[in-house]
Amino acid sequence: MARSPRARNGIRWLALLIGLVLGIGAGLLYTWEIDPVIELNTAPWQLNPAARENYVIAIALSYARNQDLTLAFDRLRAVAPDRNVWQLVADIACERHRSIQIASNSDIIVMRALEQLYRSQGATGCADGQYPTPAPIVFMTPTPTSTPIVPVGPQATKTPTPDLPTPTVPPPVATTPPTSDRFILARVQSFCDAQLDGVIEVRVFDARGQGLRGVPVQISWGGGQREQFYTGLKPGREPGYADFLMERGRSYQVSVPGLVSEPRSIEAIPCEAQRDGQTVTVTTSYWINFQQQAN
Amino acid sequence: MSKQSLGSLLIGMLIGVAVGVYLGWVQFPVEYTNSSMQALAPRYQDEYTVMVSEGFLVDRDINAALQRLAVLGKENTPDYVQDLTERYISQSNFPAIPSMVALSEAMGRLTPLMEVYRLPPAPTPTPFPAQ
Repeated sequence: MARSPRARNGIRWLALLIGLVLGIGAGLLYTWEIDPVIELNTAPWQLNPAARENYVIAIALSYARNQDLTLAFDRLRAVAPDRNVWQLVADIACERHRSIQIASNSDIIVMRALEQLYRSQGATGCADGQYPTPAPIVFMTPTPTSTPIVPVGPQATKTPTPDLPTPTVPPPVATTPPTSDRFILARVQSFCDAQLDGVIEVRVFDARGQGLRGVPVQISWGGGQREQFYTGLKPGREPGYADFLMERGRSYQVSVPGLVSEPRSIEAIPCEAQRDGQTVTVTTSYWINFQQQAN
Repeated sequence: MSKQSLGSLLIGMLIGVAVGVYLGWVQFPVEYTNSSMQALAPRYQDEYTVMVSEGFLVDRDINAALQRLAVLGKENTPDYVQDLTERYISQSNFPAIPSMVALSEAMGRLTPLMEVYRLPPAPTPTPFPAQ
């Protein structure tokens, strides 16, 4: 007896196919809905927004304690692998500021820690400068006031002076937090902007993340050429800001006095940016941040 | 339905279930993106706890530290902090030890093992003598 072509070898292919589809469906229903992979090894990037905020706050507080920027960056990268981590910190600070989650001293310290972390890296947000660190209290030595001259009366007779112990002067109290003259290279990042053609934007911060005015920035390039300029001289920009225009094709090194990090070479290479919907070739620009080390 | 068709359907379903389970558990497992802190991998939970302990050294606010740790959903937070501190001591994880010991101490869990790693106490303001 001749067999049907669909039932060769005793298998009905249509039925097999239907069974296969039903089986895959049942398998996926079981593994995705009924008994999914147990969630055990969640990474920080998989956290919900509230938990992510908690995690970022802990990173900022840890940074406030250990001042280890690389560690903070690595931790933030685990939270947001696909976005600007410093802006993430700024956005969280802004959100907390807007929703008035500031109820205790600890909350204020959190805001300062967040700001210290993101502002040192050039990010900005609506919480900028809202929770300034109080200036250190300086105990002024009272200046002696002039004693009014009393009219001289009859000459007084000299009274013998009793022997008194010599008063000891207490040692002066150090009142300002110690800062060092050492700087670290906290950030080197290239960017391509059609409006900025090969600009080095330098920012210098103190140990608390505040911009430092008047810091000499040295820049050197091929053939032993060098130039020096100062932060805080650009109208309308922050105190720790200075910039320099590069020439395409050259290699530059930027440094500040007391830099303990190894200076990095940056290349003025071409890059493509969008201007009015058209692709234009400009020179790569750079953000370079220096931060003073706390003692 | 003939026996042949039924057999083919069953064979197809068996193969399909196997393929479906492989796809669902191995190849394309459920990927959570809205997880709570409790689901965080243990190494990240430990890291988070160390960061909270360092934050405690910044603000010295034990209530804030407890609140920050509460999101981990541990049954007994001081127990958990003590265990982790002792684990770090036994592993000689020196960078994390001082802050963890300080946090344990603030929670009243300073054990003899931790004693040597205590940080010097934070200076307290001296009151002005009454005039």
